[in-house]
Amino acid sequence: MKNNIKVQRAIKNITQEDLAKIISVTRQTINAMENNKYVPSTVLALKIAKYFGKNVEEIFELEDKD
Amino acid sequence: MNKILIIMEKRFLLPNRFKSVGWLILLISLSLWIYSVFIIKGEIPFLKTSTFSIISSEFLKETEYFAVIQTNLTYTLTGILFIIGGLFVAFSREKVEDEFISKLRLVSFQWSFLINHILLLFLFIFVYGMDFMNVLIYNMFTTLILFIIHFHYLMYKYKNIGYEK
Repeated sequence: MKNNIKVQRAIKNITQEDLAKIISVTRQTINAMENNKYVPSTVLALKIAKYFGKNVEEIFELEDKD
Repeated sequence: MNKILIIMEKRFLLPNRFKSVGWLILLISLSLWIYSVFIIKGEIPFLKTSTFSIISSEFLKETEYFAVIQTNLTYTLTGILFIIGGLFVAFSREKVEDEFISKLRLVSFQWSFLINHILLLFLFIFVYGMDFMNVLIYNMFTTLILFIIHFHYLMYKYKNIGYEK
């Protein structure tokens, strides 16, 4: 699964640290997701989408290998 | 998330403040170890005392059960402090303990368990005689040591990969 959290973050002009604080996770989690090292739980994916005011599918996308 | 899973992930963890207490206890244990093994090369005299033991067998004496015995507590104390301090460090929550940190924790447990036993297997095959006693003694602590090192390495790694502001 890939995501465009980094892009969304750039649009909102918000750091990994701030985003982490807002959705109550660690910066490691945001960083791991942005680098495609971690697939978040559904709850976390929904929280992120909610914060950016988008649908989950607009941020997270399946890849061929999934 | 499923309630049972949440309980499994959080149940065995202590509050975050135990972590610094754990590091302090580890430091005391380490100082005791360095002092007794490398500096005075023996047990610390004033720690000789009588203590209750369930089983005790001294050289050329009969094994005693449930008796109060005379012994030196240097290594007992060092070991106890190391285990308590190590458990505090390994089983304390991080400041923010989210799902990814839980995952890193479990990965580290798996890794340290595996590496510990591969190491033990290797030493079993290649170390004999009295030196094998040392292997057994140090192996009591390696799972904890490996876990603590690997978990903090992963925390550090994921803080820094591809990081930009």
